[in-house]
Amino acid sequence: MTTELGLSIKRKSATPSSGTNIRRDHSIKQVEVSKLVDIDLCIGCKACEVACKEWNDLQVEETHNFGGYQSHEDLTASTWDLMRFNEVDLDNDGIAWLIRKDSCLHCEEPGCLLACPAPGAIVQYENGIVDFDQDKCIGCQYCVSGCPFDIPRFDAETQKVYKCTMCVDRIGNGMEPACVKACPTGSIRFGTKDDMLHYGEEKVTKLKDRGFDDALLYDPEGVGGLHMMYVVPRGEMLDEYGLPDEPTVKGASFFPAMSGLRKLGSVATWAGLLGAAVFFLRTGRRFPPPEDKAVASAREKGGAAEGEAQPPQETREEGRQP
Amino acid sequence: MRTQAEPQEMIVRYSMAERLLHWFVAITFIYLLLSGFALGYPRMAWLNDILGGGQTARFLHPIVGVAFTVGVVLMFVIWLRDMVFDAKDRAWSRDLRNYVREGHSSVDVERFNAGQKGYFWFAVLTAVLLLITGLPLWFPTLISAGWNQSARLLHHVLFLLTVGGFIIHVYMSTVMLPGTVEGMTTGRVTRAWAAWHHPSWFRKQEADRN
Repeated sequence: MTTELGLSIKRKSATPSSGTNIRRDHSIKQVEVSKLVDIDLCIGCKACEVACKEWNDLQVEETHNFGGYQSHEDLTASTWDLMRFNEVDLDNDGIAWLIRKDSCLHCEEPGCLLACPAPGAIVQYENGIVDFDQDKCIGCQYCVSGCPFDIPRFDAETQKVYKCTMCVDRIGNGMEPACVKACPTGSIRFGTKDDMLHYGEEKVTKLKDRGFDDALLYDPEGVGGLHMMYVVPRGEMLDEYGLPDEPTVKGASFFPAMSGLRKLGSVATWAGLLGAAVFFLRTGRRFPPPEDKAVASAREKGGAAEGEAQPPQETREEGRQP
Repeated sequence: MRTQAEPQEMIVRYSMAERLLHWFVAITFIYLLLSGFALGYPRMAWLNDILGGGQTARFLHPIVGVAFTVGVVLMFVIWLRDMVFDAKDRAWSRDLRNYVREGHSSVDVERFNAGQKGYFWFAVLTAVLLLITGLPLWFPTLISAGWNQSARLLHHVLFLLTVGGFIIHVYMSTVMLPGTVEGMTTGRVTRAWAAWHHPSWFRKQEADRN
């Protein structure tokens, strides 16, 4: 995996034709990276949460006991990684204890990036990482409503939106993301997308052998695939894990419509200005006639209106003056 | 228009309050127009640089939008009585082709002609609809992405309509019909202007004065 290749820009928000990759074979998925969370191996230790806070230098947030093992209730602008715990009663024996590392999934078709109106505020690299450039963020929060996984968080103080960067600064220097580094069981893995797919499919087969008939690799097509996939042992409980069954980029028809509307708007605005200019060249300025003539005409209309109560048939006077 | 030594006799067209209100709406509209282009058109994002940055534009646009709508609602209140369509307006509309060609209609026009009335109702309607479709864009997290996107499309369509109206409005009042914009700046128009463009209104003004 070549980081230099991977960090070419694939596209930027609100920037048409923003790809920069001139190198060979960029259609081949050789530079795409991915994390993979093997939920089967996760013990819910939250080392990834801590590592994320430490590497990204994010402030610790106070929390309280709300009846579970989960450290905080939700992601925030400075909590980009959160272990979500859910206990589900099973019909026959005991409970299923569902634990999921919740952080940005780095979609191949990122709803956030597509919704963003600020040029360059959201960037997707060739390696698949979706990153926010807060310097260019205008704080509109369209990304928040555009995300199918409810990941980006708005900070009221800075008026900007934040989320996991997949430690793009570490990856750019040949290191794995902090959460991967910290994971004591190898539940969070990192590598090329191909390698991770391979691992995931093998693991799903093993889980099925062990009796998890609905085990699956979570890499939904509706968002073009993910750059943080999950191996889900209880695939029938996606809902309970907090994962949408079939996530899609919202507004597949919206983006072409908006783009068309912008083109129409540009043409119409210029056409309007040009039209006014041509109209001026044809008709020029329309001065009223001299005062006595104008006043006489007005009084005449007054007399006609009183006399016949209908609009007068007046001979049109030449309004232009030399 | 005319060079003459003695001061010309003028007629009051718009009161101080009307003019203040008009320019308040005009200035907020121009800000909304510029920041709207900056926010809605990636290739016009450079406009953000003269508006204090994208974040500032995003912050101020909805607030100025509310101020603009309040201004338009006040306009609605003070001008409503003059803006009701009547039989004369139907005659004026039938005569529209001539009006466009000559810049003058033979109809015995009141304080406002049917075109001005039409623009008034157009402005009130689009202002209200822009505010309604703007709310989901102001607070995008309160609604689903689908509603957000629908609102963005509608807001954009309304925006383009107002741009068209604005171009016509400015062209007619400054370039096409000399003496018009003075009514909104100094508040006064010449007797010739009043008698020519608004004969019925002109006679009433004369009658009031005598």
